[in-house]
Amino acid sequence: MTQTRPAAAGEARPAARPPRQRGSGLSERALARVFVAPSLALMALVALFPVLYAIVLSLFEYTRRQREGFAGLGNYTEALGDDRFWSALWFTLVFTVTSVAAEFLIGLGFALLMNQTFRGRGLTRAAILIPWVIPTVIAAQMWFFMFNVTPGFINTLFGLGDFNWLGQPGWATFAIVFADVWKTAPFVALLLLAGLQTIPAEMTESAMVDGAGRWQRLWYITLPLLRPAILVALLFRTVDALRVYDLVAVMTGGAFDTESLSVLVQQYVVRTPDPGFGSALSTLTFILILGIGLLFVRALGRDIAIGRGEEAR
Amino acid sequence: MSDTMTDTTTEPATRPAGGRRQWAKAAMLLVILVWCLFPFLWLVMTSLKLGDRALNSPDLFQGPFGLDNYRNVFEQDFHLNLRNSLAIATMTTLICIAVGSLAAYALARLPLKRRLLLLTGVLAVSLFPPVALVPPLYEVWRSIGLLNKWEGLYLPYTAFELPLTIFILTTFYAAIPKELEEAARVDGATPFQAFYKVVFPLAAPGVFAAAIIVFVAAWNEFLLASTFAPRNPEIAQTVPVAIAAFTGQVEFQRPIGTITAACVVVVIPMVLVALAFQRRIVAGLTAGSVKG
Repeated sequence: MTQTRPAAAGEARPAARPPRQRGSGLSERALARVFVAPSLALMALVALFPVLYAIVLSLFEYTRRQREGFAGLGNYTEALGDDRFWSALWFTLVFTVTSVAAEFLIGLGFALLMNQTFRGRGLTRAAILIPWVIPTVIAAQMWFFMFNVTPGFINTLFGLGDFNWLGQPGWATFAIVFADVWKTAPFVALLLLAGLQTIPAEMTESAMVDGAGRWQRLWYITLPLLRPAILVALLFRTVDALRVYDLVAVMTGGAFDTESLSVLVQQYVVRTPDPGFGSALSTLTFILILGIGLLFVRALGRDIAIGRGEEAR
Repeated sequence: MSDTMTDTTTEPATRPAGGRRQWAKAAMLLVILVWCLFPFLWLVMTSLKLGDRALNSPDLFQGPFGLDNYRNVFEQDFHLNLRNSLAIATMTTLICIAVGSLAAYALARLPLKRRLLLLTGVLAVSLFPPVALVPPLYEVWRSIGLLNKWEGLYLPYTAFELPLTIFILTTFYAAIPKELEEAARVDGATPFQAFYKVVFPLAAPGVFAAAIIVFVAAWNEFLLASTFAPRNPEIAQTVPVAIAAFTGQVEFQRPIGTITAACVVVVIPMVLVALAFQRRIVAGLTAGSVKG
C-alpha cells in the first residue's frame, strides 16, 4: 500500500482523469468508471449516434443525395404508404417465425439425441460447429446452387425435374428458410445441449423410477428445467432472423416476394440513393426490431437479464 | 467414443436391449453428421470439377477433375480479399478484446453503481439491427472519407461485437475467485495491477474463446461490407463480398466452379480452426447464455 512502482502507476494513468487516491493507484470505483468508459464511448459513437443521426436525415427531402429541404414526416408517411415496405415487413416476419420455429424443433431434437448418445458424440459435437463457422454468404451460394434449376442437385435427388424453387413466390421463401435452418439449427442445438448438461441425471432417473414415460419425462422434467436455455436460444435467433440480409441478397436478390426489411433499406443507400427516405425506412426498421427484441427480453427473458446481473456480481 | 465406458453408467442399465438401443441412437447421430457435413462435401467435390458438363451434373463423382477453378479464383485477386478480411477481422478482434475485457472486468468485479442499468444498455445495443446504421453511417463515412477503407468496416464491427464480448468475458471473469485479487491487493498491488497481473492471465481461455467468436463474426459480415466497400479488392473489399460478387454478370449464369472453389479456400481454414478449438468455442458460445 505504501509504495507503487512508477512503471505500473504510469500504465494505470493514461485514461485516468480522476486523481489518484492515497498513492495506491485509482480507487476501485474510479477504476471501474475508467474501465467501462471506452466500451460505452465506442458503442455510443458508432452505434447510438448513427441511429440518432438517421432520425435527423429522415426529416429531409433529397434528390439523389442533394438535400432539397425540410420534409417533416413526409418520408415516413411515404414509407408507410408504400406497399413494398409492408411486403418486406411481411416477408421478414414470415421468415422469422418459420425459421426460428424449425430451428428450435430440429435443434432440440439434435440436442436430445446428442445428450443421450455416447458412441460418436465427440465427432458429432465437432461436426456441428461447421455450419456455424461457414460464412452465411457461402451457405447462401451453396444452397442457391443446390436449389438451382440447371445443376439441380435437389431436383435430381428427389426426381422433381426442372422445378424452379428460386423462381416463384412461396418456394423461394421456403428455400431461404431452409438455408437458414441448415446453418443455424446446429447452433441452437449447441446452446440447448449445454442447457441439457446442467440437468442432473438423477432428476430424470427418479421420474423413470416413478413410472414416467419417455414423453412425460421430456414434457414435465426436461423442458421446464431447460427453460432458461430455450429462452436465450429463442431470443438470439429471433433478433438475428429479423435482420436477415445475406441469404436474401445472394439467393434471390429480393425477387419473388422475398425482399426483407434489411434488403429494402440497403436499396436506398447505393442503388437508388435517397438518404432521407432510406433513413426513414431504417428508423422504422430499427424501432420494429429493437421493439420486438425488447418485448422479448421483457416478456420472456426478464429472469435472464436479472440472472446476468446477479451472476456479474 | 472414448467416453463410452464412463458414460454408460448414467444410462439405465436395466434395459435388456441397451446395446441395440445404443447402436440405434448412434445411427441417428448419422443424420446430424450428414446434415452438417454433406453440403461441405458437395462444395469440395463441385469445386474440383472441370467443364460445363461435369459442373452441371448432380453426380458428385462425375469428372473430369482438376484445380483450374482454384487458379481462376486467384486470378481474380482473391488473395487481396483474403488480406482485407484478415486485417479487418483482426483489428475488430483486438479492439473488442482490449476494450471489452476492461468493461467486462469492471462489470464482473468492481463495485459499480447502476450495474444492472449498464448491462441492460449493453443488451439493448446487442439488439440493434445493423441495417439501422447503414444509411446514416454511409453519409458520415462519405463525408469523412471512410468509405472503401478498413477503418470504415472494423469500427462499426467493433461496436456491434462489443456487447457479446462483454457478456462472454463477464461470465469468465466472474468465475475467477475474488480471493486471488484480494491476496494481490494485500501484497500491495493496485486494483489495476491486480487486474492485469492476476485476473487477466487467469481469464485467458475465456478471452481466447471470445476472440475466436468475434473474429468469425467480423470475417463473415456482409451487409456493411457490401455497402461500404462493394468493389476494389486492392483496397477494402472483403471475402464475403467477393464471393457474392462473382454473381454479377448474367443473372442465371453464376460461375459455379469459381464460386465453390473460393468457398472451399475460405471454409477449410475456418473448419480447421473450429475443430482445433472446439471446446473453447462451445464454452464461449454458451457462456453468454446458459450460465449468465
